[in-house]
Amino acid sequence: MTEFEDQLRRALERKEPSADFTARVLARATRSRRMAWWFGWQPWTAAAVAASLCLGLILETEHRRREQQEGLAAKAQLMQAMHITSAKLRQIHKKVKGSL
Amino acid sequence: MIGSLAQEVGIPRAVDEADRSRAFEAAVREHQAMVFSVAYHFLQDRAVAEEVAQEVFLELFRHWNEIESREHRIHWLRKVASRRCIDQSRRRKFRNHLSLEEAPEPVTFMPATDPMMKRYIEQLLAKLAETPRLVMILRYQEGLEPSEISDVLDMPVATVKSHLQRSLALLRRKLSFATREGES
Repeated sequence: MTEFEDQLRRALERKEPSADFTARVLARATRSRRMAWWFGWQPWTAAAVAASLCLGLILETEHRRREQQEGLAAKAQLMQAMHITSAKLRQIHKKVKGSL
Repeated sequence: MIGSLAQEVGIPRAVDEADRSRAFEAAVREHQAMVFSVAYHFLQDRAVAEEVAQEVFLELFRHWNEIESREHRIHWLRKVASRRCIDQSRRRKFRNHLSLEEAPEPVTFMPATDPMMKRYIEQLLAKLAETPRLVMILRYQEGLEPSEISDVLDMPVATVKSHLQRSLALLRRKLSFATREGES
């Protein structure tokens, strides 16, 4: 080791950080652990919310589809009833005309 | 590891966490001077060096279960500290763009024993490019051999030796000028 390298070694001696360094690191580590816990749970929470929304959407769609089908069936029944009534009225009209 | 051992023998999680916290605190106390000094000598700014050192220890905390031994931890800390220093330097454009070759000679000349010399050497080191600066810090602060430095910085041993030789020659030239003039 030369004198010059000794000078370098002295210039690059280890230095201590400020007195509260350890405390600050530990405080940040504690905060980061709490956040890790929260973010660790967050995907599960998000997945549960997303699943609930999907289920709600599916149920709502199914409910509307049923209502629509029932409406169409009622309309068809009404049309059929009107056709029958119309036919009956035509028959009555013919009979009334024939008797006159 | 404390954490995995505790799990194997069925120690409750709270005790496991407390052990881990105590072990981590001890590790911070043991290695803080090393990590802080690497950052300080590299960045030449106490506040920024403390911030970088804190980030390094937080990363250690996150990877605590992957560390196998004290030696592994020291190696890991040196490696992560080196990486963080380079990242920080690039992010903040911390380094003065003046190269060591362009650095001015000291305005007042000083004998080798002058405490100002120590500061002058620090300033000259700060003018080195990122990689050679880290190589010099790991060699003369940490006392690592070129093969160990190549491990920490993931570079060939020949490159480490080349950086050392070139940096030493440059620094020697600058310093010999300063001390020669101081003596005369």
